[in-house]
Amino acid sequence: MRGKPWLAAVAAILLSGGLAACGIGGGSGGDQAVATGGPLKGEITFQTWSLKNDKFTPYFSKLVADFQRQHPGTKINWIDQPGDGYPDKVSSQVTSGSLPDVVNLPPDIAYAVQQAGGLLDLSKNVPTLAKDYVQSGLSAYKYPAATGTYAFPWYLGTDVNYWNKALLQKDGLDPARLPTTLDELIAQAKTMHDRSGGKDYLMSRAPGLIDIVNSGTKIVSDDGKKFVFDTPAAIAVVDKYAAAYKAGYLPRDVLTKTYEGNSALFVKQVVGWTTGTGNYIQSTAQTNPNLAKQIVPSKAIGTPPLYVQGISVSAKSKNAPLALAFALYVTNNANQEAFIKLAPGFLPGTAAAGSDPAYSKSDGTPAGDAGVLAYESLKTAVNVTPPMWTSAMDTYFSQQVALAMTGKQTAKQALDNAVAKCNQLLGS
Amino acid sequence: MALPRRHPSARSRSVSLHRWFTPWVLVIPAVLWLAIFSLWPAINTFVLSFSNVRTLTGGQFVGLRNYLQMLADPQLHDAVFNTVLYMVVCIPLLTFLPLLLALLVEKQLPFIGFFRTVFYFPVIASAVVVALIWQWLLDDRGVINGLAQSIGLVHGAVPFLTDRWLLLFSAIALTVWKGLGYYMIIFLSALGNVRRDLHEAAAVDGAGLVRRFWTVTVPGVRATMTLVAVLICVNAMRIFTELYILGGSTGGVGGQDVSIVMLIQGAASGSNGQLGYASALSVFLFVITVGPMIALARLNRSADR
Repeated sequence: MRGKPWLAAVAAILLSGGLAACGIGGGSGGDQAVATGGPLKGEITFQTWSLKNDKFTPYFSKLVADFQRQHPGTKINWIDQPGDGYPDKVSSQVTSGSLPDVVNLPPDIAYAVQQAGGLLDLSKNVPTLAKDYVQSGLSAYKYPAATGTYAFPWYLGTDVNYWNKALLQKDGLDPARLPTTLDELIAQAKTMHDRSGGKDYLMSRAPGLIDIVNSGTKIVSDDGKKFVFDTPAAIAVVDKYAAAYKAGYLPRDVLTKTYEGNSALFVKQVVGWTTGTGNYIQSTAQTNPNLAKQIVPSKAIGTPPLYVQGISVSAKSKNAPLALAFALYVTNNANQEAFIKLAPGFLPGTAAAGSDPAYSKSDGTPAGDAGVLAYESLKTAVNVTPPMWTSAMDTYFSQQVALAMTGKQTAKQALDNAVAKCNQLLGS
Repeated sequence: MALPRRHPSARSRSVSLHRWFTPWVLVIPAVLWLAIFSLWPAINTFVLSFSNVRTLTGGQFVGLRNYLQMLADPQLHDAVFNTVLYMVVCIPLLTFLPLLLALLVEKQLPFIGFFRTVFYFPVIASAVVVALIWQWLLDDRGVINGLAQSIGLVHGAVPFLTDRWLLLFSAIALTVWKGLGYYMIIFLSALGNVRRDLHEAAAVDGAGLVRRFWTVTVPGVRATMTLVAVLICVNAMRIFTELYILGGSTGGVGGQDVSIVMLIQGAASGSNGQLGYASALSVFLFVITVGPMIALARLNRSADR
């Protein structure tokens, strides 16, 4: 062979290494049955996400200490990761084989880890899973093309509507007749806009996946293999938003980076409607008591969105019986209720919490009503973001909707383009 | 005092250490560094571009599928257009403006050091911080719009950060402002090599300032101008921070102000990121960056002849 054989050899080694790098992860693992019933011993790591602080550290320290006392010979190493860059941190843990035995994961990150074969199928190891936990929470951790459930629902949240009563009345709207549909919302937004001379807004958000779902449209096919949200009903929703934006019923910067968000504009009393968790009025009362007195709650328009955090068990855990036992312990009803007392606005992921009157009875105040509304909404709340939805898809969807809102293309073009691009990204 | 006597065998020992492999031993750390952190990732990126690998899941070889998808991607068309426009506008501005600035500060005047420092200051400032400040300046409720409206120059806010073209040119203006000082320093050193007697001869022949600039200064710093143009070309192709901070992660309203690097970042980010597709975009960026660099180098070589 002419030339430099050593150079060819080095190139071959590098290329073979590169090809090998394509094979990271893999879909196997996670389906094994864990041998339970024996004495628990040994050591595991438990990872939470942004929960090591003055408020939560005492809770977790006690949680771990109590478990270790109940099971002598066990050791739980609790670690906490910062809020920023958690998906990247988990990704590096998976690729380096150092995913903690018990780990706090939201549904989207759990999906990616499950795809890599990194999570234990809990439905195969906990026979009472469906009975013990909230169905909507479990559904968030069931994925297309996978038969299992990959996390115990830990704490859940949903949105309730909040309205500024004074602002509504000032602009000729009746707080007793709050909008319950998108059409009513837009109609009242027009009234507020016209009465205030364009100074006040009722709506201040661009359409998102929740609006598409509220039109009766599925985001993704049942088998999870393609996106299907470019239906006439979804197009009509985007058209309605575009018309409202063009008419000036929404703030101009709702599509831009400088948009401060619904909540911030509500606090500034520029907009009359926002959404928040069940304790939004209590938290507002601490920072802005005058505004809090003006807030009235109502049920979310359409399907309430579900926000859920779960506790997963690593499929690669070297001490799976202990990991599974500890995950069950963290998410049992007593521990979840104790945790929720520290995290107002969220609700436990256990079915037993459903019989607790603390969540289902209001004290008659708007704040109490909001808490009950949130609790009731959780029964029908849905995590509308499909697990395979990536940030690139989200960005492209927002871009296309923005083009439709600004009249640069039709709503049909926007959703057709978004579906085509998302399907391309799904397959690539 | 008597100096210590050198041992007779010291010289021969130092010579004996100088074997054929000594240079290799010296360069091995640098070679290893380059191989591990530059060459290997570059080769791996190329390999991954033919696969559908994701952040956490292994992929299969998919041939040219990523490249075919990429070429049919309307976002990439926008990104290439924006990036090329960025480069085409930045090259002349950042080649001539710093040269003129260097000519100004070259003179030994009182407080000239202060001015040189001031002009260089944007270079040492963080790109993110600078872009954030520009965002506050150019926002609908920002200083510039507020000032323009208060003096009656405009009635509504100028959409610097929401209009496709205004956003792009705002980002270009930011890049030029931030780069002026850096390239000024390069030209300042190059101007020291321009022969003063040529200037004097041209002046004696009646050449004015402009004439001397084009016929003496520019030819004298032509090689530096080529180097600067190549650097600007590479930097413009990799534009990210300015557009990302000013226009947001969506690349402005409707994503019409995306750059190629923004597309790469978007495709690769998250625990379910499409690393194969992002790698194909990276290879594409590499290819289109090398092209103008070769063209500029050839242009310079032909001018030398």
